[in-house]
Parts: sequence; C-alpha cells; structure tokens
Amino acid sequence: MNAPFRDAHVGFGAIHRRVIFFGLVALFVLQTGMTWTLSTDVDDPDAHFSTAAYRGRALYQAFNCTACHQLYGLGGYMGPDLTNVTSDPDKGRAFAKGLILHGTTRMPALGLTDTQADDIVAYLEAVAATGTYPVRSLDLTPWGTYTQMTHAQE
Amino acid sequence: MHRSEGLAARGFLVFALGALVCGALFGVIGSWQHVIPGVVDAVPFVKSRPLHVSLVVAWIFMAAIGGIYHYLPQIAGVPLHAPRLVWVHLVLFMLTGLAVITSYFMGRFGGREYWEFPPVLGIPIVIGWLLLLYNFFATVRGRQGPWPAYLWMWATGLVFFLFTYLEAHLWLIQRTGDNAVRDLTVQWKAYGALTGSWNMLVYGTSMVVMERISGNARPARSRAAFLLYALGFTNLLFGWAHHIYPVPSATWLRMLAYGISMTEWIVLARIIHQWRATMDAAHSGPRSMSHRFLFASEVWVLLNLALALLISIPAINLFTHGTHITVAHAMGSTIGINTTILFASVCFIANGHATRTMRIGFALFNGALALFWLSLIGAGAVKGWYTVMTDLPFQTIMQQLRPFLIGFAVSGFGVFAGLMVLTGLALRRLNAREEKVVVSPERSKGSAEVRISPVSLDEGPM
Repeated sequence: MNAPFRDAHVGFGAIHRRVIFFGLVALFVLQTGMTWTLSTDVDDPDAHFSTAAYRGRALYQAFNCTACHQLYGLGGYMGPDLTNVTSDPDKGRAFAKGLILHGTTRMPALGLTDTQADDIVAYLEAVAATGTYPVRSLDLTPWGTYTQMTHAQE
Repeated sequence: MHRSEGLAARGFLVFALGALVCGALFGVIGSWQHVIPGVVDAVPFVKSRPLHVSLVVAWIFMAAIGGIYHYLPQIAGVPLHAPRLVWVHLVLFMLTGLAVITSYFMGRFGGREYWEFPPVLGIPIVIGWLLLLYNFFATVRGRQGPWPAYLWMWATGLVFFLFTYLEAHLWLIQRTGDNAVRDLTVQWKAYGALTGSWNMLVYGTSMVVMERISGNARPARSRAAFLLYALGFTNLLFGWAHHIYPVPSATWLRMLAYGISMTEWIVLARIIHQWRATMDAAHSGPRSMSHRFLFASEVWVLLNLALALLISIPAINLFTHGTHITVAHAMGSTIGINTTILFASVCFIANGHATRTMRIGFALFNGALALFWLSLIGAGAVKGWYTVMTDLPFQTIMQQLRPFLIGFAVSGFGVFAGLMVLTGLALRRLNAREEKVVVSPERSKGSAEVRISPVSLDEGPM
C-alpha cells in the first residue's frame, strides 16, 4: 500500500453493468413474486395452517426446537427429523405429544401445558400433510435428478 | 481518514474478533455436546447452537462492515459522509449484540434459524443497517469514474441484505392461508439470498485487499471481475433452492436452482488464481499474513467448490441433505473462505507481517479445520447412507457416526485454539497501531488518481 494507487478507468462498460444489474433485479422481483405465489402445489386442506398450527409454529420457535430437530432435513442434527413424526404408523400424535410434555433422557421436558402441546402437534400434523421425508425411493435420472423431485405431488 | 472514524472502524473489527472468539467457544461446547450429552449443562445445546451461529454471523458482518468503513474513504477519495453515524452504528450493534446474547442465555427465543432471538431485536439491526447504507451511498456519490467490481459487490450486498432480512421476517405478519412448504420455501429463499448478501460483502473485501496488496487496479475493473459479480449476484438471487430440494415445492424452482448452482465458484477460483499470479509477480519477498490468508482462502474455495458442486446435484443431495455434509459446506464457507478473507483484511488494516507465533496459529487453524471438515463429511456420508438406504432408528444411526463426531469435536477444539492465537495477535496489533491515511487534495477536486500514504506509528512486525 506504500506505492501510489491508481484508480484506472479500464475494463467493462458502465452500460453493460447497469443492464446486467437491473436485468437481474427485475428477474429477482419476478422470482420473489413467483416464490410467494407459485412455489407450492400443496392442495391437501390438512396441510394449511389452522389457528392452532400457527400457535404451534410460534411455540416451536419460542422453544427453539429447530436447534435440535429438522423439518424436511432443515435444522439442527442433535435430534431426529420431525417432518412425519405424527403420520408415522410407529409413532403418531400421542407419541409426539407425550415426548413434548415429558421429554426423554436427551430432551428436556419443556414445561408446556396440555393445550400448548396440542398446538405444537397441530403444527407438526400440518407439516406431515405436505409430503414425506426422507425420500427413500432411488428413482434417479441420467441428468442427476430423481423422479420425486420433478414430480413432487405424485 | 479522520482519527475518530478510523477508531470506529477498528471498533467494529475489535468487536468482530470478540464475537468470533465467543462464537467459536460456543461452537466447541456444541460439538462436545454431540459426543458427551449433557456436558456444560449451564449452556445446553438449545442455547449453545444459536449463540455459536449468531456470534459467528456477527463476526462476518462486523468484520466486513469494519473493512468497508475503513477502506471506503480511500476508495472514494473523500472522508466518510457522516463519521459520527459510524459511532452510532457501532454502539447500536454492540448493545443489540449484548441483548441478543442475554436473551439466549435466558432462554428467550422466538425467531427462526440464524436469528433465533426475539424478533423485536431485529429493529435496531435494521436501523443500524440503514445508517450504514446512508453513509455508504452518500460517501461514494461524489466518487468520479465508473465503479470497480468491489463497490458493486458492496452496494449489492448492503441493499440485498436489508431486503432479504425484512423478507425473512414477513412470517411475523402472515397469519392465514399458509402451509409448511411455502413457509419453508420463502424462509430459505430469504436465507439463501441473505448468505449471498454477506458473501458479496466478503468477496468485495477480498478484491479490495488483493488490489491494495498488488497495487494493480485493473483486475477489479476487468470483464472477469464483473462476470464474477454477475454470477455471484445471480446465485444470490436464484441459487438458494438447492437447500430445499427435498421440500415438495414447485419443480421449476428446484430445476432453476440446479442449473444456477453449477456456476459461481469456478469463476471465483479463476479470479483469485489470476490475482495470485499478479501478486506473486509484484511481491516476491516475504509474505504478509494477508497474503497467506488469501492463499488459504483460495485453497478453501477450491475444496468448497468441489463439495458445493457435488451436493447441488440432486441425486447426491438426496444423500447429503439433512446430514453433517451440509454443515461441512457451511463451515467450509464461513470459516474456510469468509473467515480467512476477513482475517486477510484485518491483518492488512493492522499492517501486519508474519511472525512465528502468527504462522503457528495459521497452520494450527487451517490444519485443524481440514480435519474438522473431513470429519463432518465422514459423519454426513454415514448418516446419509443409513438414512436413505435403511430404516434404522435415529439413535442407532447416530451411534454409527460417533467416531466421526469425536474427530469433529477434537479438531473443532484445534480450530478454536488456532483462532485464539490469531485473534489475540490481531487484537494486540489493532490496539497498538494507529494508521493515518492522507487523501491527496487533487482527488477531492475530481482527479481520477488517489494517493494513499499510510503512516504507521509502530513499525514492529506482527
């Protein structure tokens, strides 16, 4: 940095830069709108958040459940994924509620009321109604995708 | 640069380094909690994880912001437009940071991943960001000539951080008609763009440091630099959806992300490699710590390039999503790339040379990080295989990961120790050194040339 630094005016044209920048911004606005309106084809009424599910989502965040648990693989890895915990034939609603109320050897009891536990279960039921995770059917395609990815609702 | 604003910029760096040390400490605690359940009971995992994440994110932002406040007057050729606002911004962020940490320790959450603190604490963050935006644009407004790529990167990162941060909090006002797929999709759209925003700030800083070391202004104005900018921006806008391939969102969204995910990193590696050749030609003498850190970032870019490309292929993502390989990707990016670039900037501002202790810390940090990264990949590969190919229960799968998790925790301690050495030396130098930058009078009259004359008050090596 001891040598004088020259601010050379060379290289890519200002017009090109502006075209790229504003073109990308326009695409971003378009994509934001599409993501908010067209990002999901979920049509199962059970998948839509009820009032109880909204309360459950707020509690899920208030107790920072995402620190240890995932939904669709998104979250912390200390505990299991909860996407289908309420729809799993080996677990189900009562199992989920019992764990929420009483905890396990590794998960503390959160001190929730019965109604609050029901709200979190309602949230998890709405999540479970949207799909299945993990994908275990290895129906791969030659171009690196898998069938469930391109036909999510089938 | 005025003394006051220079001190404030360094305040950001000191605060950032403090956040890094604390964040790394909670990371060590969190990693051992995977190996020994219940260890450090006073800070359970539900607290150590957000403390780790938020503090390390704070390090990235604060170091990048400190760098922007430091370099901007030199680049613009005029003093910062509102130096006092830098102090207001610093105090606002420090107080907010303390409030966030306090809320975590008290078990008060309410936000979402990355921002688990009560959402009301997001208000001062937005206000601070608006102060930064005002100062940035008001300062560069008077600059003559076309912007180099790093100014575009900073401007884009600053604007889009605000946009995506606000978008990430829109769930606060939505109370009807939603479902989990759209909720997760919008959340990760905002987070993907948010990560892209801070990458823009860091990559811009990397360009500035490389330019200042080499004394060559051309690369930051070249077609390749703007191609990198355009691809980085495109990735910021559209490349996030590979994080949610398994979420049953619309097909167009995931296919678009697949295509875009394949683009950005190759160009970044090419640009840095090109710069290195320039730097080697210009400086064949002893390497500064900034130089070493930039070299390390080049290596980490290449490693993460390979990993990012692989996990963006859906058929591979099927096995890696929701596993520790995602963490390896995140750690490789935030520690391997972002932290090394930001350390290059901090060392450059501290005007440091490589001492033996610094080199030992550097080697410990990078060596331990390599083991850390490989342990996470090993754990993720095992978890992904058992999760997809078997019906084993979660706890049984986690037992299979134990050797890798032990390696992860041990090497994580090594990363922490390396960071402690580097941070301690950087803090000592930042506190000991005062740099005065003289902006030539002809630049302020509109000349294209900027003369920068750093005057060190302490010439000892770092």
